[in-house]
Amino acid sequence: MEILDEKLNMPEAIVKKASERSLIHRIGKAALYAVLIVIALIQLFPIYWLALFSLKNNYEIFNLSPLALPQELRFENYIKVWTEGNIATYFFNSIFYTVSAVFLTILLGSMITFAITRLQWRGNKIVLGLFMLGLMIPIHSTLIPLFNTYTAIGLINHPLSLILSYTAFNMPVTIMILLGFYEALPHEIEEAAIIDGASIHQIFFRITLPMTAPVIATAAIINMIYNWNEFVFVNTFISSDELKTLTVGIQNFIGQYSTDWGAIGATLMFSIIPILIIFLILSDRIVEGIAAGSIKG
Amino acid sequence: MQRIKKAHTLFLAFIVGAILVLGGCSSSSSDSSEESDGSKVIKFMHIWPPGSSKTQNQIVESVVEKYESDNPGVKVQVEYLENEQYKDKIKVLSSSNELPDVGVTWAAGYLKPFVEGDLIADLTDVLAKDNLKDQFVGGTTEAYAFDGKTYGLPIELNIAPVYYNKEIFEQNGLEVPTSYAEFVDVVKTLKAGGVTPIALGNKEGWTGSLWYMYLADRIGGSTLISEAIAQEVSFENPALEQAAADFKELAELGAFSKGTNGLSNDEAKVEFLNETAAMYLMGSWELPNFTTSDETTQEFKDKIGYFNFPNYESNAGEAESWIGGPGVGLFVSENSKVKDESKEFIRYFIEEWGKQSFTKAGVIPATKVDTSSLDLPQMNIDVLDDLNKAKNITLFADVQMPASAAEVHYNLLQSLVSGEITPADFTKQTEESLKSAK
Amino acid sequence: MNRLKASKLDILIYVGPALVLLLGIVYIPILQTGYFGLMEWNGIGQKTFVGLENYFVLLQDTKFWSSAYHSLILAVASIISLVFYLAIAVILASRIKGANLLRKIYLIPMLLASVAIAQLWMKIYNPTNGMLNIFLMKIGFENPPAWLGDANLALYAIILPTIWQYAGFYILIYYAALKNVPESLVEAARIDGASSLQIATKIKLPLIMNVVKVTIVLAAVGSLKYFDLIYIMTGGGPSGSSEVMASYMYNTAFNKFDFGYGSAIGFFLLIICLVATFIIQRLTISDKDLY
Repeated sequence: MEILDEKLNMPEAIVKKASERSLIHRIGKAALYAVLIVIALIQLFPIYWLALFSLKNNYEIFNLSPLALPQELRFENYIKVWTEGNIATYFFNSIFYTVSAVFLTILLGSMITFAITRLQWRGNKIVLGLFMLGLMIPIHSTLIPLFNTYTAIGLINHPLSLILSYTAFNMPVTIMILLGFYEALPHEIEEAAIIDGASIHQIFFRITLPMTAPVIATAAIINMIYNWNEFVFVNTFISSDELKTLTVGIQNFIGQYSTDWGAIGATLMFSIIPILIIFLILSDRIVEGIAAGSIKG
Repeated sequence: MQRIKKAHTLFLAFIVGAILVLGGCSSSSSDSSEESDGSKVIKFMHIWPPGSSKTQNQIVESVVEKYESDNPGVKVQVEYLENEQYKDKIKVLSSSNELPDVGVTWAAGYLKPFVEGDLIADLTDVLAKDNLKDQFVGGTTEAYAFDGKTYGLPIELNIAPVYYNKEIFEQNGLEVPTSYAEFVDVVKTLKAGGVTPIALGNKEGWTGSLWYMYLADRIGGSTLISEAIAQEVSFENPALEQAAADFKELAELGAFSKGTNGLSNDEAKVEFLNETAAMYLMGSWELPNFTTSDETTQEFKDKIGYFNFPNYESNAGEAESWIGGPGVGLFVSENSKVKDESKEFIRYFIEEWGKQSFTKAGVIPATKVDTSSLDLPQMNIDVLDDLNKAKNITLFADVQMPASAAEVHYNLLQSLVSGEITPADFTKQTEESLKSAK
Repeated sequence: MNRLKASKLDILIYVGPALVLLLGIVYIPILQTGYFGLMEWNGIGQKTFVGLENYFVLLQDTKFWSSAYHSLILAVASIISLVFYLAIAVILASRIKGANLLRKIYLIPMLLASVAIAQLWMKIYNPTNGMLNIFLMKIGFENPPAWLGDANLALYAIILPTIWQYAGFYILIYYAALKNVPESLVEAARIDGASSLQIATKIKLPLIMNVVKVTIVLAAVGSLKYFDLIYIMTGGGPSGSSEVMASYMYNTAFNKFDFGYGSAIGFFLLIICLVATFIIQRLTISDKDLY
């Protein structure tokens, strides 16, 4: 179909030239696919490995080849993980923190990127610089001061300490991702809207936000993965079991002198499933957004 | 326009939601030491998650339950983290003066900065009351004492035997070595027989340190290494240098697991469990793997024995000095608002733990255990007997050393294995790190 | 470039919340850290003001500079790897069959938590029963290296999973940017007889150059402060041979109880990132750009 389409669009001369090249073209294409498929297998391998890992015991994990099947599939790892400890609570908390932080980051990040690239005000370069600088700050060196701050304002052992931290620390990278897209957005539509008498808020919420749907999907995926897998902040700021997340569920199986790796594998499998589903949905939005959006030339 | 309204409503809803959550915290937060109904709260942080340390976790639960029912009006709030995360969190908490009322600590070098920073309560009175001290195995509480005051009560006691695979020894015509020279011969024979002589994961450093400590103990006598670490004598001592040279020689002979510097203890242990390595030097906390655990087969368990690291000279008789010592203990925070209640809680804990930990979790408590009345695997009883008749227990190096010197010590051991430094460099740099940490 | 006129209140609404969060949660703590860097402090007892002493010690600390060198190697490797990711993204964004499925598959590893990735690669690198050495022995190497246990190789062995971990991230960003290139321009070029390669290099690439520049900064800065896998897989060892700046800082502050010095390292790391970003900007961003 594709090749046919291309030919229909091409003038005669090019079609002729193309057919001369077509053999080389085909071999090249086959080679390309071979490479692409090999890479795909490499990228799929970790999930396959993790699934096997989660069905083994410690002995088999360290002793057998990572690709070997265990003697028996130890589904008891999953049962153990599910029955011991508050997986369901952790699960809900992970979702709640991740969704809240992603929503807040995307909204505030879009607003400030909009202001930096679209609005007329002094200081936008300085503000952008501040956010870029924020990229460079290592999390671990902020831990103790941040703990003090949250203690002082009573947010220790409180969901907001995580949501706000995730939002603030992911804001720089979110803005960086949005920025490239905003800069490529044509100004004409906004200008037309201004002439029609639209306000700043109308432009932002009605025109800009919908137009940036694809990049929002990108940024959301990245934010989501970061927040979902984060554990340093959870460990430091949260002390009650009812407020902890799935990443803590992993720690549940690390003992003083020994670690139950199979159970950790099962916890990791539990934790990857929801994020995989959301990822698959959001990842289509990257493309759909373009089709629905109004960016043309 | 409809969409703008929607967006605005959403935004508004979000802010309202945030305020609600924020407001909700003041009622749900249990940050104070008093509950809303006026009862007192003891915060207790420990290192036994239910997933990996089920029995220990259950012991904690039972202690808490007993304490709460005996002391109406006091509640115990428990938080658990795995070992490494626990240490990190304690670090953050102490920098903000927010330590839990009761927590887990390690002995000597780990505890010292907390004591010097006045964060930890003196527990000498707890030990004195009702002669609690007599319940402890001699010498265990001393590891938590500074200037004659005791700041932590030990709950674990370990020694580190060399576990070995009897079948592999037999196949290679070997017997348990009685001198270091014989030990080296064992290593050489095993190596020639295509077996990894010693399973060692030296990535974490403390594992290699066990070997070094034994060599130092056997060459320099049971007090030298401790004196050198305490800087009563210099670490640049011929005996300690000889120990480093022997450790290096073992590495050069190929005694240790291949790539030992990059292996975690978990990875190396498996070489012993799957019988590709003949010996494994580790704390007595590994005993369940060779006696009661269902992760290993009975056939395997029957093959495993242990011996004490041999004396250096062949005529020195049976070795009676061990590397080991109390493991974790409990502390009470100096700034706790429920200090008396916390001290009482510790008493409960020590007592219950002493009764249950060995039989249920295979953890040897620091309090005395009467083996005669217990139904235990023979190896457990043997180790316990050895422990009770030990002439000397030299504390693990990483427990004795200040944290910064321990880090250097680990790095240097790795460098010895890889041949980057000489034994003389080893003692010199250890001495420097001990000096600067002082 | 015509910017929209906005009232001060509007500006405040759009800029305020994010800026307040950034200042309160990221900047105030890091400034406090810089201040702790002026102290001799074990994180527990009294702080003693020592002025810039920690920073002077740092400048002469050979261990720090070797960790900085390792971070630099990681940064360079990450930036080089971008070329590869860009190529994959270009292929995925072109109209080849199955691109949609391939794209999803390619991004999957980025969903994994660091602890899973670290375990996977430790299994690959295990000297005796790791996949890599089993393979090497099968094809005739008698004594394959110990990888993470070999001080000469550990750093390079660990760079590979680190780079691979972020493959999905960059492919995703490039892919999204490429998909944003107006279809009409591509069509026009195709009608003019441009080959797929020409379309990619002459039309698509220049249009996403801004994004590429941003990713170079992200890769450099992300590598300079990188921590996760290195800490889990080698802890900086053997003998400090894979220590990077962030793991050195962490070891100093949390494992050696030297919080004053650890803070100084953290603050200095920020300065190094700043310099690196400045250099990258000078090299890549031309005057006509926005910033």
